[in-house]
Amino acid sequence: MTDEGTPAEGRVKVVYCGGCNPHIDRAAVAAGLPVDDPDVPAGTTVHLSGCPRACASDHQLVAEGEEQAEVGAEGAPAGPEGPPVVVVAGELVDGVPTPAQEIVPAVTRKLKE
Amino acid sequence: MALRTPEEFVQSLADLHLQIYMFGEKIDDYVNHPLIRPSINCIAMTYELADMPEYEDLMLATSHLTGKKVNRFTHIHQSTEDLSKKVKMQRLLGQKTGSCFQRCVGMDAINALYSVTYETDQARGTDYHERFKNYVQYLQDNDLVADGAMTDPKGDRSLPPHKQPDPDMYVHIVEKRDDGIVVRGAKAHQTGACNSHEIIVMPTVAMREGDEDFAVSFSCPANAEGIYYIYGRQSCDTRKFEDSDLDVGNMRFGGQEALMVFDDVFVPWDRVYMCGELEFSGALVERFAGFHRQSYGGCKVGVGDVLIGAAGLAADYNGAAKASHIKDKLIEMTHLNETLFSCGLACSYEGVKMPAGNYQIDMLLANVCKQNITRFPYEIARLAEDIAGGLMVTMPSAQDLASEKLGPIVEKYFAAQCDTPTIDRMRIMRLIENLTIGAGAVGYRTESMHGAGSPQAQRIMIARQSNLNHKKELAKAIAEVGKPWKNEDIKSPTAVKQH
Repeated sequence: MTDEGTPAEGRVKVVYCGGCNPHIDRAAVAAGLPVDDPDVPAGTTVHLSGCPRACASDHQLVAEGEEQAEVGAEGAPAGPEGPPVVVVAGELVDGVPTPAQEIVPAVTRKLKE
Repeated sequence: MALRTPEEFVQSLADLHLQIYMFGEKIDDYVNHPLIRPSINCIAMTYELADMPEYEDLMLATSHLTGKKVNRFTHIHQSTEDLSKKVKMQRLLGQKTGSCFQRCVGMDAINALYSVTYETDQARGTDYHERFKNYVQYLQDNDLVADGAMTDPKGDRSLPPHKQPDPDMYVHIVEKRDDGIVVRGAKAHQTGACNSHEIIVMPTVAMREGDEDFAVSFSCPANAEGIYYIYGRQSCDTRKFEDSDLDVGNMRFGGQEALMVFDDVFVPWDRVYMCGELEFSGALVERFAGFHRQSYGGCKVGVGDVLIGAAGLAADYNGAAKASHIKDKLIEMTHLNETLFSCGLACSYEGVKMPAGNYQIDMLLANVCKQNITRFPYEIARLAEDIAGGLMVTMPSAQDLASEKLGPIVEKYFAAQCDTPTIDRMRIMRLIENLTIGAGAVGYRTESMHGAGSPQAQRIMIARQSNLNHKKELAKAIAEVGKPWKNEDIKSPTAVKQH
């Protein structure tokens, strides 16, 4: 996991894994994210891992929900109280199987929820 | 209830009055039966070690449900450290028993069902997860042994469950009532089923449309009305009927498998965790199999430690320990065994936190682990037989050794290294026999092949996760596949040298 993440571009911060086993094109996913969409709360974080090992989110497949994960980037609290945090790990979005071509739309929906 | 003692476990097992059959007869006093008792001793060891401070770090865990210390075999993994400690605990128990200790299947079943019930609820609005958490707490609070029952007889493998001429080839629902379901069928090769307080049933394959009645998961007491067990035979099993322990090889411990029959068993709704949700049956199968494939990276390694030790002793007793080829074979056995351990640990350290909050092993590495398990124990066993020599299968019996006339002859001609009593040499030979071709080989060899899924099952999972396209792209990049080719750029080797 990269400690600092990618410098914030627009409203979405992307935290990449190291990229040793990419099942998906992480750069393409990042490029498709709605970084300038005003419907996306500022300070949102997308943990973007290339495979299901989820290194970008410290091996956690989900950052929100009943079992709260502490993966908000740079102090941003995860979970219902803070800006959205979404975990992509290969073809999983928050632990739900998602085909590669569906990842960007799925993440976008979650960021706007 | 606090953690049980080994004695309390054995008594609790006797109190169940299970319906166990062997050699065509019902066995009433099964806890003292010579063929069954060694397998009970194995599970008793999971209680004994849990009560010893020097093993507490591996044997106990803190329940995320109650905050209390529980036996790790009833624990839902909460970290990658939990996953690795599980593997180490299994190696420890393999070392202490030289056998399959059977309690892993229940542990792997509850960890698989924990996440699957959560995800089913999220998708379907059911309440399986809360039911299941209550059940896990019941197991933990009472320190119970659960059998994870997955393998159906399967009948004609070319047909799905609902098209089998005999539907009982897969456990299925025969009646849905207001208060629960009634199930029928059987589970085969059930490790430790006759030593369990509880049975956890899961489907054995990913179910498709039409299989709704077969997509069923539930738990029930091992002595529920309608359940009975037909005990499986093992190689050389009737040696345990003989008065002497010598020829058994492993006197105190052994594995156990049985055919478990469900003859219209009623299951109340609060014990049902899947009832027709086809789309989650495959995930349950894969996750249970994944956890169990990780398990083998611990338990078989522990038994391997015993076999390597036995081979080393055989070399010592034979007076061959200093031979370079013997040393090299022991190194090779160790290398293979530690490779298996590495796989068990690797899939643990690369585990992930699931949406349900529990931790799951890395599926690819767990399948690689088990694939190696289908091979390496065979090679370790081959090398042990090589080192031991033919005596391990040609020795006279314990009765010959005990004979007034023949005993001194056996002593004389099977003596080897001068400081070693012949009887100890014979004991080690019998242990190697036990683990390589005797009763222990059921667990160490054939179970390594087929337990937690036969080799092809792992290869399918490996293929699914191999990310081959990425590897092709790597090769293309290195080889510059697609780069324009210009003949004029090519220089002769001589020109290159001059340059």
